[in-house]
Amino acid sequence: MRGRTHLAVGERRWVHGAFGLMAWIVGLVYFFPVFWMVLNSFKSEQDANTSPKLFFHPTLDRYKDVTKSATGLLSFGEAFTNSAVVVIVSTIIVLALAIPAAYALAIRPVHKWRDVLFFFISTKFLPVVAAILPVWILARNLGLLNTRNVLIILYTGLNLPLAVWMLRSFFREIPRELIEAAEIDGAGLKGQLTSIILPMAAPGIAATALLCVIFAWNEFFYAVQLNPVKGSTVPIWVTTNISTRGDFLAKLSAASVLACIPVVLAGWIAQKRMIRGLAMGAIK
Amino acid sequence: MRRILRLGSAVALFAVIGAVATGCGGGSKGSGSGGTSGSSGGGSGGGSLNVAIVDNPQMKDIASLTPSLFTAKTHIKVNYTVLDEGTLREVTTRDVAAGGRQFDVAMIGMYEAPQFGKNGSLVDLTPQASSDTAYNLGDLIPSVKNGLSADGKLYAAPFYGESSFLMYRKDVLKAAGVTMPAHPTWPQVAAIARKVNKPNMAGICLRGKPGWGDLGASLTTVLNTFGATWWSAKPDGTVDKAQVDQPAFKQALQFYVSLIHDAGEKDAANSSFNECLSQYKDGKVAMWYDATVAASNLEASDSAVKGKSGYAPAPVVKTPASGWLWSWALAIPKTTSKEALAWKYIAFATGPQYLKEAGAKIAGGWAAIPPGTRKSTYEIPQYKKAAAAFAQPTLTAMSEAPINNPGTTKRPGVPGVQYVGIPQFQDVGNQCTQEFSALIAGRESIDNALKNCQQVASQVGQ
Amino acid sequence: MTTTTTTLRTRITRRPLSESWRRRLPLLPALLFTIVLTQVPFVMSIWYSLTDWTIVPPSPRKFVGLANYGKLASDHFFRDAAFTSIKLTVVPVLGALILGAAFALLLDRKFFGQGLVRTLLITPFLLMPVVVGLIWKNQMFHGLYGVLNWIIEKLGGSPVEFVSRYPTWAIALVLIWQWTPFMMLIMLAGLQSQPADVLEAAKVDGATPFAIFRQLTLSHLRPYMELGILLGTIYLIQVYDQIAVMTGGGPGSTNVPYFVFQRSIGGGWAFGRASSYSIVVVVASIIIATIALRVLSGLLKGEEAA
Repeated sequence: MRGRTHLAVGERRWVHGAFGLMAWIVGLVYFFPVFWMVLNSFKSEQDANTSPKLFFHPTLDRYKDVTKSATGLLSFGEAFTNSAVVVIVSTIIVLALAIPAAYALAIRPVHKWRDVLFFFISTKFLPVVAAILPVWILARNLGLLNTRNVLIILYTGLNLPLAVWMLRSFFREIPRELIEAAEIDGAGLKGQLTSIILPMAAPGIAATALLCVIFAWNEFFYAVQLNPVKGSTVPIWVTTNISTRGDFLAKLSAASVLACIPVVLAGWIAQKRMIRGLAMGAIK
Repeated sequence: MRRILRLGSAVALFAVIGAVATGCGGGSKGSGSGGTSGSSGGGSGGGSLNVAIVDNPQMKDIASLTPSLFTAKTHIKVNYTVLDEGTLREVTTRDVAAGGRQFDVAMIGMYEAPQFGKNGSLVDLTPQASSDTAYNLGDLIPSVKNGLSADGKLYAAPFYGESSFLMYRKDVLKAAGVTMPAHPTWPQVAAIARKVNKPNMAGICLRGKPGWGDLGASLTTVLNTFGATWWSAKPDGTVDKAQVDQPAFKQALQFYVSLIHDAGEKDAANSSFNECLSQYKDGKVAMWYDATVAASNLEASDSAVKGKSGYAPAPVVKTPASGWLWSWALAIPKTTSKEALAWKYIAFATGPQYLKEAGAKIAGGWAAIPPGTRKSTYEIPQYKKAAAAFAQPTLTAMSEAPINNPGTTKRPGVPGVQYVGIPQFQDVGNQCTQEFSALIAGRESIDNALKNCQQVASQVGQ
Repeated sequence: MTTTTTTLRTRITRRPLSESWRRRLPLLPALLFTIVLTQVPFVMSIWYSLTDWTIVPPSPRKFVGLANYGKLASDHFFRDAAFTSIKLTVVPVLGALILGAAFALLLDRKFFGQGLVRTLLITPFLLMPVVVGLIWKNQMFHGLYGVLNWIIEKLGGSPVEFVSRYPTWAIALVLIWQWTPFMMLIMLAGLQSQPADVLEAAKVDGATPFAIFRQLTLSHLRPYMELGILLGTIYLIQVYDQIAVMTGGGPGSTNVPYFVFQRSIGGGWAFGRASSYSIVVVVASIIIATIALRVLSGLLKGEEAA
């Protein structure tokens, strides 16, 4: 990755240093609420529900509290498993559907591809909340309420337009000559995909998959409306740690940390790839 | 080429089907199909039940005690779903109203029980409850039983009950040279609040957070005793006209809001039970008008204000009593096929035996057993000892709550004190308390708030 | 490029049917899936919006024609929600875009700990919206124990009741915080894709850094900004989670999605009325999207579009 641009050239050292310092300040300020959440998760409820305290007796008890599974209650383990299944399966389906679709929109475009693309994007403008009632009735009639399936299907639908859109951009970056050469060699769709498109667009596909994972892992509304029961996901589990009768901030912080860790770690690890993926051609 | 394309689509399709199948196998355990077919006759052959409960400490206690106290004896497995109040209400209302079949037993509030019962969505529990001698139906606190019934039929069995009263710091009032009357009126309480109000300790904590069950509950008890009402009633008891634009309503709202502005807690528009509880425990408020269950927190062993509080009945103006009445109760939706099993569970969860067994087993000890459902609770020696400071005021408040006639005029939706027992009230209450909360926060005028609220309330009954 | 396009086009029209189907086939699974999943509920919503269906109190579904739409014009609650929606979309999108661009410029230069700072900055975007709403409300904005009020009091000010006094701005701030990293990533991608040779050439020609920035970088970033605005708008117009956990609705925080929720499954149970709101929103969104995508933006114009 290129870490510097023209602006850095010919600058005096202190200007350079000042910009670096500013970046650090901005970064720390931005991160502070997250830091504070992590800090709160190691406090007792008494320490968390009082004037902000930086020094306290740290404890892991809140983590024990929230991961302790009581019979019949949605446990952290169950919620985590459900979320993992829903997120992974839906993301795989999204890619399985979006990669051929993006091919048909970018590499050997169908007639009126622009209308098709517009249709995909326009579905993202349907308010999720507005669709909940028909979706709930359909899910009930198909016996899908309180199953992971309903979330898998819906999350696939939520992420598919974005994936098609992004993948199309990435695919268009692939030099046309390479694909034409492969075609002349007799490679069909599958051959083109495996030999040229997928390897070349890999960073883009990874970035797309990561965005799908983030949105699916964090989705709350459909999960709480269609599947608040035992098949439920991590965001629901987080809210079960809120209490209307009694202090909960430390417990909630611990639950939040656990709930966010997988996606945050994935995002941290994949950040460079994500930037490269976007740079590769989310635009063109 | 074409062959390969077809292959590609087939792979994609296969992936979808495979995934759906996987998800199906893993995810269906929560739904109604959970393996009890045939045992709904109620034999001792076990089975399983899907039970939805609200997220309160007492409910979590029973969830953790169910395997040892219930499943071990009956072999009935209970799958709990714990949801916050709002979500539970959405889910159960939709289930009951639109015929979803998610739950065999659902916890509902006193607000819903008579309504759902009347529209035929719930199983009438009276026959089973009265024939089950161990259950001891006559032991239920009459006002609670009354609030959960419609036309003499009990539609939900109370698991937890509460009323409202006034909690105050005896030491603070004494230092200020004031005494709390045995039966205070709101003007008296307001005067005391303004007198003891200091920069570091507010005079009184009142709910200001939007929601018909938050600000709506406290405010409606005040409205009632000021002679105001949300709606007038037709002779048959149905909604006639919205009364939000009447002088009594404005007077009561004005009283409530200016008391908060003059002597109320910090960030009142965002405060409800929890916020007031922590402020009271922190010594940041001198008085607090809220649910009776709060007392068990104030008198808990780790409380900084243990033993410092006095408890007075809910303040009044024009009515003899004004405390609210609320219960979380277990009901059986008509859609379940496991009625007999469901009753077995309800008889366990809301019966006298659980109360006697739970005290020694739960983390909070005897003072934390579900209060406010049975008279016999208040005769358990260990409970009387553990809850000495607040057991009697609680029982009195529960018994005196004016469940059938909360105000000064005839109104729709009784039984019901801090709410109007009509289906539209939660919606009207939510919208209006959002306006009133904005008024408390100082970003809305009283006339505008009342105008908007009247408009919302007027849509009912049209 | 234009010539290639023309030949391509003519070739398409002259191709036999089987070839155009061969092109379509890879598209069909995704297209059919999306059509079924979005259009079936949409059509159902249209049907509901023509009825007076309410679930509480239960009422038979009666066809009422366009009556629900007729009431919309005079419904000032809906109007308020629409204004709130506009505020809660425009302010966060622009705020996050400006901050994101600024942070991207800061990060696009080498300094000690660059990678770590970038890691810190992208974190908010990765958090669960529910968690974001809850931690801001309960630990940053909290009237008594909030960090912000603690700082204000240390500085000698009097505490501010952020969420209850300024709900719109409190939610907007949280949304800006969460979406800045997303915008920053897009901008960073734009900055890093600048052709180095052009920049070098400009430098050799003696252009000042500021002139280069204004004339080359900004115009290069334009499509990236458009992408950021488009994607940000799509997600922010739908915001529900943060409102649900921070205020639970109310004047100044009920946006249209939350309003639709409140009027239907959130307590109103008036599915007929609520469906008419959602249809209006969908139609309005599609009009805005059409204008944004087709007229204003070059995003959909590839080389074939010339």
